Amino acid sequence: MTGTTAALHRPGTVGEATRVLAELGDADLLAGGTDLVPALRAGTRRPRAIVALRRVLELRTRGVGADGIVVGAGVTYAELAGWAPAPGLAATARAVGSAQIRNAGTVGGALGSANPRGDLLTFLTAADAQVLTCSARRGPRTVPLPDFLLAGRRRGELVTAVRIPPTHGPQVFLKIGGRQAAYPALVSCALVVDRADGRVGCAFGGVAATPPRARAAEQFALAEIDWSAVPTGARAQALARRFGELVTEAARSAAAQLPEGPRDPADYRWHAVGVLAARALARCLAAPAGAEGPAAEGRGGGTVAGS
Amino acid sequence: MTVAGTGQDGTAGTVGTAGTVGTAGTGRASGPVVRRVLAGGAGPGAGDDGYPGADAGPLAGVYRLLVDGTLRTVDGAWLGESLLTVLRERLGVTSVKDGCEQGRCGSCSVLLDGKLVTACTVLAADAADSRVTTLAGLPDDGLAPAVQAAFLRHGAVQCGFCSPGFVVAVTDLLGRRPDADEHEVREALAGNICRCTGYGRIVAAVRAVQEDLAGQAGRPGEAAPGEEAS
Ligand SMILES: Cc1cc2nc3c(=O)[nH]c(=O)nc-3n(C[C@H](O)[C@H](O)[C@H](O)COP(=O)(O)OP(=O)(O)OC[C@H]3O[C@@H](n4cnc5c(N)ncnc54)[C@H](O)[C@@H]3O)c2cc1C
Ligand code: FES
Ligand code: FES
Repeated sequence: MTGTTAALHRPGTVGEATRVLAELGDADLLAGGTDLVPALRAGTRRPRAIVALRRVLELRTRGVGADGIVVGAGVTYAELAGWAPAPGLAATARAVGSAQIRNAGTVGGALGSANPRGDLLTFLTAADAQVLTCSARRGPRTVPLPDFLLAGRRRGELVTAVRIPPTHGPQVFLKIGGRQAAYPALVSCALVVDRADGRVGCAFGGVAATPPRARAAEQFALAEIDWSAVPTGARAQALARRFGELVTEAARSAAAQLPEGPRDPADYRWHAVGVLAARALARCLAAPAGAEGPAAEGRGGGTVAGS
Repeated sequence: MTVAGTGQDGTAGTVGTAGTVGTAGTGRASGPVVRRVLAGGAGPGAGDDGYPGADAGPLAGVYRLLVDGTLRTVDGAWLGESLLTVLRERLGVTSVKDGCEQGRCGSCSVLLDGKLVTACTVLAADAADSRVTTLAGLPDDGLAPAVQAAFLRHGAVQCGFCSPGFVVAVTDLLGRRPDADEHEVREALAGNICRCTGYGRIVAAVRAVQEDLAGQAGRPGEAAPGEEAS
């Protein structure tokens, strides 16, 4: 029984955590445990050692600066859910799991799991997020989220935070799936609008191994929509419909498609992300300019937030 | 990493064959994980000798958990054990129910440092300096007795399996948001599954507690009216 206490490490700082990770060479990081602990129980993960981050308070900070919003890896969904400076993140966090899961699950855990159906990944991809990591050997590093997801977490490395560049405009996150409290969504779609330069970031999850951006749809929105005189009525409807079609096309041609399941054949997924994207754009168009703060939308994980 | 055998029954040294119930337990990191049953008694101090070879991987060493205000020593648990497993099978706290072990049913809901979580998704050894509150640890002079009484009065308890988790979740909710509307109540309880009641009676019980609270605080009309007469 003795001699094995070393299997659980509970560092107090990022420096200590990276040092321990480097020394162990082979250990699993633990944050809220919502993904890892069931996996330990099922035996699908069998680490020789665990480095628990609960005590690393510096990972639990978040803030707004000139270069955007920075959210520490240890921040939970529940903490994000009511956070006014980041309405899109807040809306996405509210759409995750149950109260219990939101109280425990963290941003760092979402990135560590890199579940292709992870809600946060879809939103962060649309928002051009950067991932801040740290390791004992290489020190701190900042990588665009898609690169981080493609390469996977490096050995000895820990995610310390994510950074989102500042934007001013509506942000929408929508998803379709079974019981939200118990299962991840089948597909999701996020839209981040910057009224200032007319750019629209659009990403979708649940289709490919990592959430792709719908570039052609983004180009279309940039060319067709003047956010200082937002189209309404039939024109808005037509724009939303075409936008959705372009997102469906992007989904169809995305690389690394996820395997099909009985409840989500590929053509259903392509269609569904198009429907979500059209709905999301329609909501962005309808969002009042300058309206601050999040405005939650009905049921089914739908949320629009204007800022 | 070599792990010492538990050595409590003189047969340490045997490499544990996973799943061989009744064999002396030693903890080599090998063998598949097998579902552990409650054989051997789950009373306080049941200790580790009831679960031979049932798990694999390194041991967690000795640690202490603050459960309902009492420090409990956990000795001989596996590193990977959840708070649910340790509470039920090592500390005998059986009001925390084991429904899915995947964070999906809420029957293992507890408060960790005052926050509602599912015990099956918390690593027990990592809860060592946190406060764990189960049904029994909710204050006697707080909301919990009223919630429990309302559950009984409104038929919100049928088989009762989900009830401890619900009472913890409802007490947590009403402590923070006494005026929550029905939508918020349903949303806050979405992580707790009940296979018997259909939820209507559970929501009615919650609304009744809210009405009582509003009445006591002399704020008539502040809480929305309940759905069912009691
Ligand atoms: C019932 C249930 C419902 C759920 N519903 C949803 C949902 O609706 N939407 C959704 O998106 N997700 C959902 N999830 C998934 C889950 O909650 C999230 O993925 C969560 O963010 C994981 O965070 P955690 O802190 O619990 O991670 P943990 O389980 O502690 O860790 C997860 C992984 O990340 C690694 N890790 C942790 N921290 C770091 C770090 N700082 N740096 C690098 N790697 C790290 C770990 O090693 C591990 O591999 C659900 C889960 C459950 C159990
Ligand atoms: S047993 Fe923990 S949520 Fe079901
Ligand atoms: S009363 Fe039976 S599960 Fe809820």
